[in-house]
Amino acid sequence: MDIYLPIAEVSVNAPLLVALGALVGFISGLFGIGGGFLMTPILVFFGIPPAVAVASMSNHVAASSMSSVISYGRRRAVDFRMGGVLAAGGVVGAVAGVEIFRWLRLLGQADLVVALSYLVFLGVIGGLMLWESAGAIVRRRRNAPPKPRRDRRPPWLYGLPLKMRFPASRLYISPIPPILLGAFVGVLSAIMGVGGGFVLVPAMVYILRMPAGVVVGTSLFQIIITTALTGVLQAGRNQTVDVVLATLLLVGGVLGAQFGARASSRFRAEELRALLALIVLLVGLRMGLGLFFTPKEAFVLMSGAGG
Amino acid sequence: MIAAAPPSPPPPAATSPAISAALTETTVRVNSDFRGDRIVLYGAVFDPANRPSDVVVIVRGPDEPVRIAKKTRVAGVWVNSRPVVFQGAPGFYIAASTRPLDEIARFGELRRLQAGVDHLKFNAPDEQRVETRYGVRDVVVSRLGADYLDWKNAVVRLKAGEGLYAVDERGVRFVDRGLFRAEIALPAEAPIGRYEARILLFQNGHPVSEKDRTLTVEQVGVERALYLWAHRRPWSYGLAAMAFALGAGWAASTAFRRD
Repeated sequence: MDIYLPIAEVSVNAPLLVALGALVGFISGLFGIGGGFLMTPILVFFGIPPAVAVASMSNHVAASSMSSVISYGRRRAVDFRMGGVLAAGGVVGAVAGVEIFRWLRLLGQADLVVALSYLVFLGVIGGLMLWESAGAIVRRRRNAPPKPRRDRRPPWLYGLPLKMRFPASRLYISPIPPILLGAFVGVLSAIMGVGGGFVLVPAMVYILRMPAGVVVGTSLFQIIITTALTGVLQAGRNQTVDVVLATLLLVGGVLGAQFGARASSRFRAEELRALLALIVLLVGLRMGLGLFFTPKEAFVLMSGAGG
Repeated sequence: MIAAAPPSPPPPAATSPAISAALTETTVRVNSDFRGDRIVLYGAVFDPANRPSDVVVIVRGPDEPVRIAKKTRVAGVWVNSRPVVFQGAPGFYIAASTRPLDEIARFGELRRLQAGVDHLKFNAPDEQRVETRYGVRDVVVSRLGADYLDWKNAVVRLKAGEGLYAVDERGVRFVDRGLFRAEIALPAEAPIGRYEARILLFQNGHPVSEKDRTLTVEQVGVERALYLWAHRRPWSYGLAAMAFALGAGWAASTAFRRD
């Protein structure tokens, strides 16, 4: 059953998109990520103009994050205070990101920057996560004691001024690192059509040293705020949000996210991280390596005002 | 060229051949299950002298600027060049005929009528400048230089790959004496807007009669409402779409609550 998308102006197979939305939603709930980094490349592969895919993903990511954050909230696994501080940075980043994306499209370099961002960010983060989680799994199998965490209080994190208390995370730190992190993720959200969970989750664990229990819920909470803003800005500035596309994806997405959030408690944290790392790494390589191969067609059309 | 008077019957004078044609539908409605359409056109050739006739049907969609970039290798990575904007290229183009176009008329005639994808007239005005060369004034020079044709051909090739530009050498068939039928395939990607169908009668390599018909491709129903909303009031559209998304997420989590 095909359905015509009014903004993308192409026709797509509706049940297939709903199923994809459900699969990505499940992964999203399981790992506490928006799933945009998986969905955006898939949509582009299906012939949806990249600008429309990136923008419409914001709505989809916001919906599936909303669906799972409530489940996490009930389990008290969300640090709303930390999420709010991250989101404050995220708002600034999202506004800047939408403008940067607009400028890149005018230069015709949006494709390149998107592909490079995927390769660099997904490649580095996936690689690091895989290394760390594989090490944790090996140590557990050998019944070795967990690696003692080095300096629990790095001075650059704890020495900054304007310290705030984050009771849910048991932290007393300056809000400057989370704000900067939020801003960085906001820019990525607009440029790559992702929520940014794949950057936020590891950064919260390894940089902010937040307890693992609240990381996923807090990341989802910040993603809702950032992507909600990105989605409205993309619609207002670029007219690239296709509500029919977003609805098809989110029907599957919100349902999948429910099952994912429930399934997450059945796995060990390091096994989940290893699996996520593999997915992240594969997507990054798939998106980025194309830049190094000689293209079959030397010319490329850029749809409408964008590309 | 002799233009036939619109009310066709009675047929024009014995020596002047004329062509007449009509589209079976003048509006293509794009709704949620739109997957492209086939436009059928019927027409008749009036020629008492019964000279051998060829019919060419050219359907053009609304012109839209085309941005195209060329991939170049920079430090081992393939990147897009600065995009070039071509103006005046149709958003959809098909030339259907009874025989291959180059058998019907000469190059110059086809070029003048823009019959066939190779004869489409469009250019990149931003890349052009007028200068004096070899003492000849007002020579139009393209900054793309010798590659200019490569760029232009790439536009045609890529549009053809999307099914938006086509040539159908057997797209017009005579179904009876003087009566012909043409079928034009409109892909789902065809742009919205006003299409011009030009029906030409060729005899002895020259166009002797022509008819113009218009076709409207329009979005209807919910699709149209959403399209207009998104483009005329983008901010309220964006807010509503996001509110709907967040509401759906909240509703799903409430529906799945297990207490």
